[in-house]
Amino acid sequence: MIWRSWPVPRNEGTAVHRIGDATMCVSIEQAGDGDVLAALVRYAEDEAPGARRAPQLALPPLDDPAWSRYYMGKADHYELEPGYPDIPVCVRLHEPFRIPPGADLRGWIFSHLEAKLKVSQAIAGTFPLKKPFKTLYGSPDAGVICRYDEADFLASDEPATAALHEDPSLVAHPVRLRNSSSEPVLVEELCIYGEQLSVFGVDRRMQSERLIFAFNSSGVRMSLEGQGALPPGAKLLSRPTVSGEERFIERSFELFKAITRI
Amino acid sequence: MDEANAIAEAAAEGAAPKGGLLGLLPEDGILGRLFTMDAALTAIRVVLAIVLGAVAVGVIVTLIRRVTVKRMDARTSGLIVKVAQYLGLALIAVNALDAAKVNLSGLLGAAGIAGIALGFAAQTTVSNFISGFFLVSEKTFSIGDVITIEGSTGVVYSVDALSIKLRSFDNQLMRIPNEALIKAKVTNITRFPARRLNINLLVTYDTDMDRLRTALLDLAAANQFVLRKPEPLYMIQRFGDNGVELLFGVWLAKDDWVSGNNSVLADIKRRFEAEGIEFAFPTRTVYAKAQAVEPLPPPRSRKKPAAKA
Repeated sequence: MIWRSWPVPRNEGTAVHRIGDATMCVSIEQAGDGDVLAALVRYAEDEAPGARRAPQLALPPLDDPAWSRYYMGKADHYELEPGYPDIPVCVRLHEPFRIPPGADLRGWIFSHLEAKLKVSQAIAGTFPLKKPFKTLYGSPDAGVICRYDEADFLASDEPATAALHEDPSLVAHPVRLRNSSSEPVLVEELCIYGEQLSVFGVDRRMQSERLIFAFNSSGVRMSLEGQGALPPGAKLLSRPTVSGEERFIERSFELFKAITRI
Repeated sequence: MDEANAIAEAAAEGAAPKGGLLGLLPEDGILGRLFTMDAALTAIRVVLAIVLGAVAVGVIVTLIRRVTVKRMDARTSGLIVKVAQYLGLALIAVNALDAAKVNLSGLLGAAGIAGIALGFAAQTTVSNFISGFFLVSEKTFSIGDVITIEGSTGVVYSVDALSIKLRSFDNQLMRIPNEALIKAKVTNITRFPARRLNINLLVTYDTDMDRLRTALLDLAAANQFVLRKPEPLYMIQRFGDNGVELLFGVWLAKDDWVSGNNSVLADIKRRFEAEGIEFAFPTRTVYAKAQAVEPLPPPRSRKKPAAKA
């Protein structure tokens, strides 16, 4: 399992962690009384198309600004922990579809995780596992800037679902789409607030809580529907940073301010 | 009976302290007349009115500040707190004057006249103060927004009852009266989460427009700062004097504005160089037309009139 504690590569060159299509490199540099941890991530899409992955990565020198550096003192280990981006993730569906009024659909979508590099429980750096593009969810005057991701809405028994579960850079979201409006709704993209979600994992398989997207006449709202069925042996790898209640109170105030214009 | 009355009066005179403040000061002296027991009690009442009033106003203002800071923006919160402070001070003053047994009706009449005089004198101040309320109700900007007012651009640094302060990008402080803000055209650059970067391009007439479009949209799709949605705008605007004029617009998150601007413009230059697309510069085409030119007639010599003998 990639998401665990790793020994610091002192006098061993650079430690390379392959997480899905991303390659995370961790190196150590002596700095006075302690060490500096340097890390960077390379993405497969940055490599020349058609080129085979080189057995030996050509990395920039450690003083290159591409490396994120963190003074770690005399620590012997660093940890890799999965996490969600600090902004919402807008997952664009490859094939948008309509759901009829009153429909209740269940399926899976997958989004890319971020790797949190921790030293003695302190975050030394956060690295997206897919090139971090952004998008605007909503209208230009009232939208939210989100991390961009693409996915399919998959049923549990599709072969693609099993294949995606094996990618450690992806987290599976069990999703329920409910249309409570009286009109059919076109589902093109889904906005996931990762700050409210945990990551449960076993081996290469990561999963979040079950998400409900309720469509009604005033829009769409994401909420959680408990933990859902987890794979056997899965344990909690990352906790939510904001509780659902806090988010609910915050949103209520936003709504109140919007209505009263105070 | 008269004798008995006289004895009682004498006893009473003997019991009552002579002079001001329990007889410590001589009765007929100026201090004695000023510092009587009654005056002391009045002074205590005034001090109590001020102290208790200040404590009560302090508690109320602190509560209002706590509530408003959490629920409102800094500008609205600051103004509400200031109004509460001024109202509290006015109440303390009225209460203290009442405790001092000052006839407030006469004072209010005098205050009315003084108010008119002060109104004329403080016209601008009052105007700025009232303008502040209108600005609050409009919610055009708040602290931290980048705004442009009559050519001056800066980050809103503080919002006060009479003016706002802007910090320009070269680190200068600008004070703009609220009254001026009401009248001026104010542009809030960072109000919305995303902004479109409009890039006007001028390319030579021999440019392959399909290739140009593909190159621009490709570089936008590969740039990390460009938002995937809303999609970039590509529009041929006109055939200009010096080349084809077009508008290329990409959306950037407001926090990525400077980095995105630099990145996209650098990408365009690199891509144009790689694709052999040429920026057009002001040019003038001169056509040299081959044409049979008739020889000019020989110049006629003007005959001078013969000199008269």
